Amino acid sequence: MKLSPMFVTGVALVVLWCVIALVAPKLATHDPYAIDFAAILQPPGAEHWFGTDNVGRDTYSRVIFGARLALYIGLLGVIAPMLIGMTVGLVAGYFGGWIDVVAMRLVDITVPFPFFVLVLSIVAVLGPGIENYFIALALVGWVGYARLARAEALVLRRAEFVLAARTMGFSSGYILLRHVLPNSLSSIVVYLMTDVTLVILFGAALGFLGMGVSPPAAEWGVMIAEGQTYISSAWWISFFPGLAMVLIGVGFALIGDGLARMLRIER
Amino acid sequence: MTPLLSVKDLTVRFGATVAVDDVSFDLERGAALGIVGESGSGKSVTCRAVMRLLPPSAQISGSASFEGRDLLQMPETELNRVRGKRIAMIFQNPSSHLDPLMRIGDQVAQTLHKHTDLKGRAIRDEVLRLLDVVRIPDSERWAQAFPHQLSGGMKQRAMIAGALACQPDLLLADEPTTALDATVQKSVLDLLAQLRREQNLTMIFVSHDLGAVARVCDDLLVMRWSRLVESGPVSRVIDAPRHDYTRKLLASHPDRLKPRAFAPVGQGAPLVEARGIQIRYGSRMLSDWIAGREGGFMAVKQVDFAVRQGETLGIVGESGSGKSTLARSLVGLVKPYRGAIFFDGQPADPAGPGRIAYLREMQLIYQHPSEALSPRMTVQAAIAEPLRRHRLCPRDAVQGRVAELMSQVDLDPDLITRFPGQLSGGQCQRVAIARALAFDPRVLIADEVTSALDVTLQAQVIDLLLRLQKERGLTMIFISHDLAVIRRLCSSVIVMREGRIVEAGPTAKVFDTPAEAYTRALIDAIPHLKGDVA
Repeated sequence: MKLSPMFVTGVALVVLWCVIALVAPKLATHDPYAIDFAAILQPPGAEHWFGTDNVGRDTYSRVIFGARLALYIGLLGVIAPMLIGMTVGLVAGYFGGWIDVVAMRLVDITVPFPFFVLVLSIVAVLGPGIENYFIALALVGWVGYARLARAEALVLRRAEFVLAARTMGFSSGYILLRHVLPNSLSSIVVYLMTDVTLVILFGAALGFLGMGVSPPAAEWGVMIAEGQTYISSAWWISFFPGLAMVLIGVGFALIGDGLARMLRIER
Repeated sequence: MTPLLSVKDLTVRFGATVAVDDVSFDLERGAALGIVGESGSGKSVTCRAVMRLLPPSAQISGSASFEGRDLLQMPETELNRVRGKRIAMIFQNPSSHLDPLMRIGDQVAQTLHKHTDLKGRAIRDEVLRLLDVVRIPDSERWAQAFPHQLSGGMKQRAMIAGALACQPDLLLADEPTTALDATVQKSVLDLLAQLRREQNLTMIFVSHDLGAVARVCDDLLVMRWSRLVESGPVSRVIDAPRHDYTRKLLASHPDRLKPRAFAPVGQGAPLVEARGIQIRYGSRMLSDWIAGREGGFMAVKQVDFAVRQGETLGIVGESGSGKSTLARSLVGLVKPYRGAIFFDGQPADPAGPGRIAYLREMQLIYQHPSEALSPRMTVQAAIAEPLRRHRLCPRDAVQGRVAELMSQVDLDPDLITRFPGQLSGGQCQRVAIARALAFDPRVLIADEVTSALDVTLQAQVIDLLLRLQKERGLTMIFISHDLAVIRRLCSSVIVMREGRIVEAGPTAKVFDTPAEAYTRALIDAIPHLKGDVA
């Protein structure tokens, strides 16, 4: 398989962010939570590379530490929706019948509402915090995976190798796990990558709205919110976390697109 | 006289792979040239290179002069005046080359609009005339039809009508009959042969089927591995082939294979028996109930048959005759609506609770060798799967058993770590057979196992099945639309049409003295190497 340049760039970006998150204490020049009233609203310079915020915290160090939170939210947030969605979709698509009808009506109920509005209202009911964001994602985010997995299973259940497995007397559970799942995984992984981006962005959006990670945490959404009152005089407070978010998002999106392209050629 | 088309040193490369290697031939006006070869031999690429239909990634060198002008150097605008008007092409799969949203008449009229000065009524009349020429009955009505309303053969005729619209000098036919049923295939071949005579058409006919080419063409090119291995008049090549590969190709043709003498089968009780099988797709709706109809679609209407131990039963029929559905009901993939299956004298329920014991005795091999194996499993994993899953042998003996099964089907042991995508069609089919043999079944059902393979591979797979049957005393049910294969392999045969058995009996009797007109039509449609000799 030939690696597409998109994929390589994406992987490089994501690996870079993972390294940054891992060795954040070494990379940071200051304590991300240290308040220094002697140095408030400093523009980017030799002492504070990305400047400082309204209480004198070092923006660069906060952005670096923010990577930890972003990756934590992004990677953990997609696990539950993926597992739930994949299971529901594969079972519904493979068996069809009433299971399919019930599962797809559940999907239909969820789909008409804008994704973020639904997540937001669930978090609003449950109360702010990352845990509640994860719960909301699990309740809403599985839908995309379920539709995708169902479409794959619908095709695969008619594939000759699945029929062959049936005529070899294997149980349905075994066929789903060993024959249907591995062959539908590629498109699910592609979707997973775009979903990670989405979950990171929405996580930050929740932080911005004060419904996600709570201040004074070094979270990019929170930082942007803190900087918005100073946007005309101290642009760097919001700008650098925003830039970081774009770069991590582009990384995952490139992996997704690159994978999609590579897998398509392979077929 | 200068030839109409003269191809010299044509070489086509896709990156590092050479698809056509230094091919030259001349084509006189009025002649018909057949290009024969197996898949990947470069025959289609040659044809497409002449029409300049290859993707931009192809590097083409050499020349193809059409009436003295090199098609390969011609500017695009000039080429478009030649394509369709002077040189026309028909393709393998008529349904993918007809626009599904356009009426048949309009599709035929397209080239007329583009390349002639005819207008309005004159175009309509010309379209109807063309549909008559390709023998589409009731042309007024079919001109108004959409492609999906036509059968495969009709679609191919409509495509030929479109190709003939501007009275081209040269017709390129790329596997035009491969996707068609035997009887339809014959009628299209007859049509092409007739058009040649009537319209003095010059033709290049590309096919993997020597018999089909022999029916239409005077001259033959044989291609293998991108090269031309032999050329000459059809009769000479068939009677006195000069190249080893041509000889091998001819030897693999069902005509040249020796018919087998069948040992008389004992009069014992049948091993597999089907009684009154009916299979329905779709369910009975309320409206059907009110109208007193059965509802759904009856794929198999009424079928009874019996196979004795060690016997090979052939089931023949064209697509849609219900033969594959019948096979699938024997292994529990579809449930018969009515009727019963008996195995070894006992009523069997292939989809019910006792199915695992039943399926160990009865295994099905599928049509598409590469699709019958999971793309993510190695050869080793695929063959070992039933052994492990059903504990057919002790855990530590699996490795050895896989190797043994692979050697039984003549698979190179080095292939064991390969994935299906890295195997050829014939190799995949062998893996599938080895996997079925892992069960040590008493009955093997082969559903069109040879139809996706090239002739030489076909012959090999058939030999393999015959050998396995002899060694293991297997009982076989062999389903095919290819009567030549059935004749070679089966001791008795049933002929199916539209879900019913038309004729049944010992193979020799059915083939030599067919009682039904339909059976006779099927037998007549077998493509032979020599026009009329049976």
